[in-house]
Amino acid sequence: MPSPAPIYLDHAATTPVRQEVLDAMTPFYGPRFGNPSSTHRWGREARAALDEARERAAQCFGAAPDEVCFTSGGTEGDNLAVLGGWRVLRAKGRKALVSSPIEHKAVLQSVHQAAKEGAEERLVKVDATGTVSLDDARAKIDADTALVSVMWINNETGVIQPIEELAALTKAAGAIFHTDAVQAFGKIDIDARKVPFDFVSVSGHKIGAPKGIGAFYIRRGTPLEPLFFGGSQDRGRRPGTENVAAAVGLARAMELAVEEREAHWAELSAMRDRLEAALVARIPDAVVHGRGAKRAPHVLNISVPGTDSESMLMALDLAGVACSSGSACQSGSITPSHVLSAMGVRADVANAAIRMSLGSLTTEDCIDRVAELFPALIAKARGLAGAA
Amino acid sequence: MNRSCVSDTELPSSLGASTRTRVLVAMSGGVDSSVAAALLVRQGYDVVGVTMKLFHDGGDVPDRPCCSLDSVNDARRVAESLGIPHYVLNLQDAFGHDVLQDFVAEYAAGRTPIPCVRCNTFTKFRDLLHKADAIDAAYIATGHYARVADGRLLRGRDDNKDQTYFLWGIERAVLERMILPVGEMTKAETRAVARELGLLTAEKAESQEICFVPDGDYVKVLERELPADAPALAPGPIVTSDGTVVGTHDGFARFTVGQRRRLPGGSSEPMFVVALRPADRAVVIGPREELLGRGLVARGVNWLVAEAPAAGSAVQVRIRHRSRLVPGTVLRVDGTEIEVALDEAVNAITPGQSVVFYDGDVVLGGGVIEMSRRGLPVMAA
Repeated sequence: MPSPAPIYLDHAATTPVRQEVLDAMTPFYGPRFGNPSSTHRWGREARAALDEARERAAQCFGAAPDEVCFTSGGTEGDNLAVLGGWRVLRAKGRKALVSSPIEHKAVLQSVHQAAKEGAEERLVKVDATGTVSLDDARAKIDADTALVSVMWINNETGVIQPIEELAALTKAAGAIFHTDAVQAFGKIDIDARKVPFDFVSVSGHKIGAPKGIGAFYIRRGTPLEPLFFGGSQDRGRRPGTENVAAAVGLARAMELAVEEREAHWAELSAMRDRLEAALVARIPDAVVHGRGAKRAPHVLNISVPGTDSESMLMALDLAGVACSSGSACQSGSITPSHVLSAMGVRADVANAAIRMSLGSLTTEDCIDRVAELFPALIAKARGLAGAA
Repeated sequence: MNRSCVSDTELPSSLGASTRTRVLVAMSGGVDSSVAAALLVRQGYDVVGVTMKLFHDGGDVPDRPCCSLDSVNDARRVAESLGIPHYVLNLQDAFGHDVLQDFVAEYAAGRTPIPCVRCNTFTKFRDLLHKADAIDAAYIATGHYARVADGRLLRGRDDNKDQTYFLWGIERAVLERMILPVGEMTKAETRAVARELGLLTAEKAESQEICFVPDGDYVKVLERELPADAPALAPGPIVTSDGTVVGTHDGFARFTVGQRRRLPGGSSEPMFVVALRPADRAVVIGPREELLGRGLVARGVNWLVAEAPAAGSAVQVRIRHRSRLVPGTVLRVDGTEIEVALDEAVNAITPGQSVVFYDGDVVLGGGVIEMSRRGLPVMAA
């Protein structure tokens, strides 16, 4: 019996490189191999490509080219924002770092690092839907605040955070506002002319560019201490010979994501809602995390009481369906989700969470097959739990 | 853009639907379980590898036999080379409760536990079996040197490696679902297979220590897990069996029956720890003949055969890993408690250790030693 094609439902983890992106990058792995810092013609050719990539990426943020810097990805952007921003402002007597308990570890661990360097860590509460509380944010953002970092879309639940309001609160307090937009880019209109954010981190591989490249937006005039020291590339903000090919690919991926944003949203949203409705209809006691909040269209995080994510992920994978759960530690074992526990989700329910994330590889056929298969695997897992 | 559920690149071979029998194999990253997995693949099973994360190693014990990142990586690399899926399972909570806490409680109660027995009973052959159920695996396999035939547990072919001493606690019904591929082989043969297959774990050193005990120093674990004022780690008297106080010690849990090291000198003959007495925190010492036992009482007895030995049955008895089998007789069985007389005196029958009963190669069952019965002292050979 031929096996049915496997289904990739983990686009929030990573996405395949788009053909257009690969095509755009190819020359830079071939004849246009130059170092953009070189003065000769090879250097000039690479420089031209890099400059153009920067302009095009900047346009995707509604920004000027000098406001965009290329990084190795989301984690570097988050570190650069939190530590680079805080280290400058602590000199001005602003000791507090405000963030939320549902941030990506790249932000949370950077905040913890800053705390070791003397920062006062303030985490804003989230409600049961996984939305950061604006009331609590008002209480925590003050004249002592150096920087506020809150993600635009949560990677585990897809819940959209009130970034416009948080950015405005932060600016009113005279602090720097950073948002991790790794999940939001290509879903949300991220426009520096409309929202007063100062730093934004974006990752390439979540939007069809390669792994190892990211874009970092820095509003003009915002103080930033670099993480790396070396040459004068990128105005010294990010020394090191630029990854020209990946920067070109990222710019192309960003343009495509912006162009397709609204259509993509509508399409994913329809499929996600269909999947969610089918699963909830077949598993009435399933818990959809973030339900009731404003959610991005590509994430469905669902817990079925009486099951555990570890077993379900194995069973799903062996049946050909790729999903994920909470954050995986370095060894690959699953640890309880800090996001769900911050939302007050009961431990046994949090430990059953399965995140399905839709994207370019998702079709209605995939959705319908998962809508059949998932409840069947759940029934099996529960039968066993009941029998045990 | 080409839209399909599938990326157009090649897919892992493991994703194909299969009618082959699925086996979940516990891969520690060592050579035995690596070879176990390889043999199952060779035999045509649909093999799924898992590595259990049992405790948080804090990153400061890099050479642990299992659970460290290195071991997980080794297991994963072997699985990759065999072309089988591999998962890391987080069983830290259950292991902490079923194994670690018991380990600490036993030492605190003056006994010398074997955590590997409880790990096999609860973690591997109960909790991991539930994971096997969830993925429709008919069997669970490990790299133990033991054999299963006709629903019975048999000693491994390699007498030096036989691990049945640690397997007596598993539920009997589980035997039918166990495959122990290296049990038919000697350790040398296992290594030879590993080399032949080019497994990267082929030359890996033997793991003899308890996986969660750094540098073999179990007291460190007790000091970390027990309250600072725990009686087991507080000073107490060293006494002889007639009650004479001959010194003081710094915590009875730092001693084990049969130990000679760290005892006061001055006796005319070598003195050993012969008992630990939590009630008055005493470490009881005596000459070699006081270590000898002619019988024992065990609790928590589990049987792996349909017809458990009754009072009067002749059995072969092992009271320590790899020790010689000693003939004995069951004196009484009360539920899960058993009393056994031994035909000859045995050295250092230690509360907390296991007693395992055999009939030739067949493992009948076992229990946890509660106390030694001295009977008539017999001079050591």
